[in-house]
Amino acid sequence: MSFIRVMSLAGRIVRQFVRDRRTLALLFLAPLLVMTLLQIVLNSSDSSVTLAIVPPSGPLGAAIASNIKLPDSISIKTITADQAEPGLKNGDYDGVLIFPGDFLAQVQQGQRPELELRLEGSNPTVARQLSGIVTLLIHSIATAQPSAQQAALTPTLTTTYLYGGPQFTQTDAFAPLLIGVFSFFFVFLLTSVAFLRERSQGTIERLLVAPLTRTELVLGYVFGFTLFALAQSAVILLYVIFVLRVHYVGNPFVIFLVTALLTIGGVNLGIFISAFARNELQIVQFIPLVIVPQILLGGLFFPVKTLPVVLYQLAHVMPLTYANFALQDVMLKGFGASDIVGDLIFLVGFALVMVLLAAFSLRQEKV
Amino acid sequence: MTSAPSPSSDPIVVSDVVKRFSDVTALDHVTLSVARGETFGLIGPNGSGKTTLIRLLLGLGRPTEGRIAVLGHAMPNRQVAPHIGYMTQSSALYNELSIRENLKFFGTLYGLRGKRLKERITATLELVDLTARADSPIQTLSGGMRQRVSLGCALIHEPELIFLDEPTVGIDPELRVTFWDYFGQLNQRGVTLIVSTHNLDEAIRCHRLGLLRFGKLLAADTPAAIRQQSGKDDFEQAFLYFSQRAEQVKHVEQAEREA
Repeated sequence: MSFIRVMSLAGRIVRQFVRDRRTLALLFLAPLLVMTLLQIVLNSSDSSVTLAIVPPSGPLGAAIASNIKLPDSISIKTITADQAEPGLKNGDYDGVLIFPGDFLAQVQQGQRPELELRLEGSNPTVARQLSGIVTLLIHSIATAQPSAQQAALTPTLTTTYLYGGPQFTQTDAFAPLLIGVFSFFFVFLLTSVAFLRERSQGTIERLLVAPLTRTELVLGYVFGFTLFALAQSAVILLYVIFVLRVHYVGNPFVIFLVTALLTIGGVNLGIFISAFARNELQIVQFIPLVIVPQILLGGLFFPVKTLPVVLYQLAHVMPLTYANFALQDVMLKGFGASDIVGDLIFLVGFALVMVLLAAFSLRQEKV
Repeated sequence: MTSAPSPSSDPIVVSDVVKRFSDVTALDHVTLSVARGETFGLIGPNGSGKTTLIRLLLGLGRPTEGRIAVLGHAMPNRQVAPHIGYMTQSSALYNELSIRENLKFFGTLYGLRGKRLKERITATLELVDLTARADSPIQTLSGGMRQRVSLGCALIHEPELIFLDEPTVGIDPELRVTFWDYFGQLNQRGVTLIVSTHNLDEAIRCHRLGLLRFGKLLAADTPAAIRQQSGKDDFEQAFLYFSQRAEQVKHVEQAEREA
């Protein structure tokens, strides 16, 4: 195994792409265009929103909690104070309205009670919806008071966020998903076409006849394309942070790690799939099979946890789903590499399986 | 596969090789050896098994029956790869890259580095007469120029055994003469050439010719001997003569078996 041969192959791939201006433009500008359009267009609403309530202590407190009326689209759950934070982190509910334990006593003593609304915050639309509804709820209590004196006793509301904040927009939540989708999609498409060209132009014969092992061939491709995928992720990241002004908290190196793993899987999937295509059009025909289901089910359009059981399980064998989980956790919640080990293990496993499949398809080439 | 050196010192020894693809017999009991420093021409119609034979000799596949030894190693064997050059039928180059970059890439794959690589690139560019266009991308070149680059890529690492699949298709007569003069020089240095060709002018310049048809090697001899045996001056006629004779032999064998 010769590192120089591997790097020579990787270098050749890079050089070919640098010459191919149209592909470069596709690789770097298309994601930016799509993200910009999405930022303009995005206005989604989520139907399954849950608000948890920590009621004041005592039976009267529970009665207050059970009398709270919210629109049907929001389900209510009554919990205890110490359940609030873990439940939010688990995603059991999207926000918690916390009454102080001595709420009733405060009201009786003529103090203004302080309520706290703690929002999960990773889906900005949901966060805004809850925040608006709770504000409205408190406002309605105030206007229902018979006297101005009692109106002065209207509770105050403090809103805090587990992740993100009030300035968080839908694009902020989308950015991590798009980074995963774009690096996987473009790397798959470009590798399969580049490899198809090796076959149709006959250069693969030259490579196979040369003293180049299959491992070196696969590694050369992986390095060449990973470089582009990382450059692409970097450009997308810089664009969303500085131009679209998306908010993110995570460590860029962990983002790169996830992208690199996804890229290795994508490159080798491309090499493998190219064995089943005779021309570029046939590669394009594989997109609805290989790419579209992952985009639809991977969490970009519908939250994975709300999918029907069969699709939910399907989503859990797709690499993009795990990359999406990982990138969202890192970028929105500030998780480190150690917090997304499960996702990373799946991505490593996926990459390994793809490397084996690619090597196998090259083995077929030799006989 | 073991790689014990074969007893013969000939760079190519093909012993009773059969290659079958699911329902087609591409090579049918072919036996052949090529000497060091020889230019051996493979001629035969499309589908006669030329490409299959060359692919087996290159180690791209395994014979169904029989043995193939190349440079003393039973094939397929990766150890011979650095000593083999291969000029594919289509030009098989990276179109976005320049001539120099293509040469450099293939040179690096064959282990050439630094100063030696530069020297080889310069010498090869001169040989194929493309020094002036060295930095032009392949996609801007004419068909003949691409063919020259393709030859250059097969020669860059100075292999001792070179396979040339229709090397002078699309090359003008003047350059073809230059190519063949160079092939002669390579022979003198002990380099062995296997040339597959349709071109009969080219066939005459080979030391020996192998006539392939339906996967059978009909004859393997010098161009002069082939003409003499067949009593025909041109190879197309000679070719017909040998294929008819093969048919006759088959009939005789069949008759003997039946008797």
